[in-house]
Amino acid sequence: MRSKRFEVLDARPVNQDGFVTEWPEVGLIAMESPNDPKPSLKLVDGKVVEMDGKKREDFDMVDTFIATYGIRLEDAERANAIDSGDLARMLVDFNVPRAEVVKLTTALTPAKLTEVVSKLNVVEMMTAVSKMRARLSPANQCHVTNVKDNPVQLAADAAEAALRGFAEQETTVGIVRYAPFNAISIMVGAQIGRPGILTQCAVEEATELALGMRGFTAYAETVSVYGTEAVFMDGDDTPWSKAFLASCYASRGLKMRFTSGTGSEVQMGYAEGKSMLYLEARCLYITKGAGSQGTQNGSVSCCGVPAAVPSGIRAMLAENLIGMCLDLECASSNDQTFTHSDLRRIARAIMQFAPGTDFICSGYSSVPNYDNMFAGSNWDAEDYDDWCVIQRDLKIDGGLRPVAEEETVVVRNKAAKVIQALYRELGLPEITDAEVEAATYAHGSQDMPDRNVVEDLKAADNVLKRGLTGIDLVKALARAGYEDVAGSVFGMLKQRVSGDYLHTAAILTKDFNVVSAVNYPNDYRGPSTGYQLSDERWAEIKNIRKAIDPESI
Amino acid sequence: MDQEQLIRQIMAQVMATIGSPSAASAPAGGQVTKEQYPLGEKIPNQIKSASGKQLTDFSLEGVVSGALTAEDFRIAPETLEMQAQVAESVNRGAFSRNLRRAAELIAVPDDELLSIYNALRPYRSTKAELYAIADKLESQYGCKINPAFIREAADVYEQRGRLRVD
Repeated sequence: MRSKRFEVLDARPVNQDGFVTEWPEVGLIAMESPNDPKPSLKLVDGKVVEMDGKKREDFDMVDTFIATYGIRLEDAERANAIDSGDLARMLVDFNVPRAEVVKLTTALTPAKLTEVVSKLNVVEMMTAVSKMRARLSPANQCHVTNVKDNPVQLAADAAEAALRGFAEQETTVGIVRYAPFNAISIMVGAQIGRPGILTQCAVEEATELALGMRGFTAYAETVSVYGTEAVFMDGDDTPWSKAFLASCYASRGLKMRFTSGTGSEVQMGYAEGKSMLYLEARCLYITKGAGSQGTQNGSVSCCGVPAAVPSGIRAMLAENLIGMCLDLECASSNDQTFTHSDLRRIARAIMQFAPGTDFICSGYSSVPNYDNMFAGSNWDAEDYDDWCVIQRDLKIDGGLRPVAEEETVVVRNKAAKVIQALYRELGLPEITDAEVEAATYAHGSQDMPDRNVVEDLKAADNVLKRGLTGIDLVKALARAGYEDVAGSVFGMLKQRVSGDYLHTAAILTKDFNVVSAVNYPNDYRGPSTGYQLSDERWAEIKNIRKAIDPESI
Repeated sequence: MDQEQLIRQIMAQVMATIGSPSAASAPAGGQVTKEQYPLGEKIPNQIKSASGKQLTDFSLEGVVSGALTAEDFRIAPETLEMQAQVAESVNRGAFSRNLRRAAELIAVPDDELLSIYNALRPYRSTKAELYAIADKLESQYGCKINPAFIREAADVYEQRGRLRVD
């Protein structure tokens, strides 16, 4: 006979999740594997001859790259000699300024920094994140996609997401050939919700760079790196090819960050028996060594793997913290769906939401789950009000603002009309008034009429063949009478000439002023220091749609 | 051109000669630091595109009239060098090295850049092919850092068996 209590528990969402016990031999362990190397560093004539228990002659490609480029050797001998417990306490101790800690942490070996963060519990890690985040103020990033790759809906959703406060937006494709259309839709749409939003289109590496060169995107993020040489080969890259790619982006005045995350190596079958966190630390040292200004990490699309093992959610926070210790911008994941349980969803997110990161989600799904082409997100369009209420409950800045229905409908309608006019000016397939109307009021692609996909794809190919660039979009928008939108797209393109937004954790204000870790570095030094909500921002957060004035009762 | 535009243009030229009034002109030695950052806001008169256009002359009207083309929206090597100096001033050495590699690559056409990236992927190239790419970057585009970086990659690939075997 079955216990009725256990029958009830078995039916709970959390018990639809997958859990496994640790298996260190294959790397199915989040942190502190018995097989993780013991930290060590030996220098001879300024050259690394031993790192984390391995002699130089035994280095693989990843070791060589990290030893050559990833560690700040000037302070390395001194920093690595400090007790890991002492370093862990420095991370948490707000009397030690961030700059002083970074000087040490950027000089540690991967195994040493992994050991340091492993000394912390999650509350201590969150405290450390408050101090170690690169930019003074937190921000947020969203996904804008739909299952039909509908360009009108993409523009309307981008506009709404910008109005709601996301500083960066990312799209991808259902059908690869749609890439230029999707990139254009969110770049133009976002500017209508709020000028100065950075946008990207996640596709294969070389294609992504080509879209950026044309001026259809402002930054790139899906530049993946891995912690073992074998997985790197499977990913069809090397640390050198990725470092070269980083320079290609900067040479065109485009912001970029690398992507990595715990669980990718074990998922791809080559974890070499090491813990997920140690391998992720190696990814972050490659990111640092390649000269990327930042990382998107926090397991990202492998979230289900660490989430299934003990201390896995803690490991995701730990890997964010390692990125910050390496002085990198951190877009801290909180994206891919990993659980059926709403309680676990928030437990995973609060780690970054409460202390605030450079981008808390990377990204938050600005569309319903069925339209998310990044395999779903931990946060969806249906959760907008929950996010805003949690900001209000905890008096924290999660990067979003409550918006009214009327203003949202207005920007969606404008974005749809602008894309309609842009397509007309560029000779692309017609967007009908019915589509504009549908996109204005849509929740998802189920509310949108179907388009002629064959004709759209032919036109998207043609956009590339004709050699259209961002400049052609500016001209077409001006011709169509949307000078304000033309001005905003122009403002985005102009950024690549000065290159200020290439720097660590850079975002743009609505006036195209750059806010980064250079001119607004995090200066947290304990209570009432660092980023503080302004009166205006707090008033905005407090003003949720459903709050009633007690005097009205 | 209406009067306001004319005045704006004159003002921009005057500013370019006397330097920005809001402090933050670059020190005499040519080094910039975080004090001049954001360069586009604090010292726009010292920023030119790769094609030689002044940042202060960039306007929507310029795009619409055709005075500014897509080629003008490309960052100049001198600007990336200044950004590398800003990065150094905030102790971001690895990032500044990336910006200096990037400064050399501005002159390399888009298609060629993409093909070099692909050649650096595993099992794509022989050692000789990678060395030839390095030589070309040196002789044709005057690159110094990137050729050494590519040769180093070729040597590591050889050691690790990641070159193409014909």
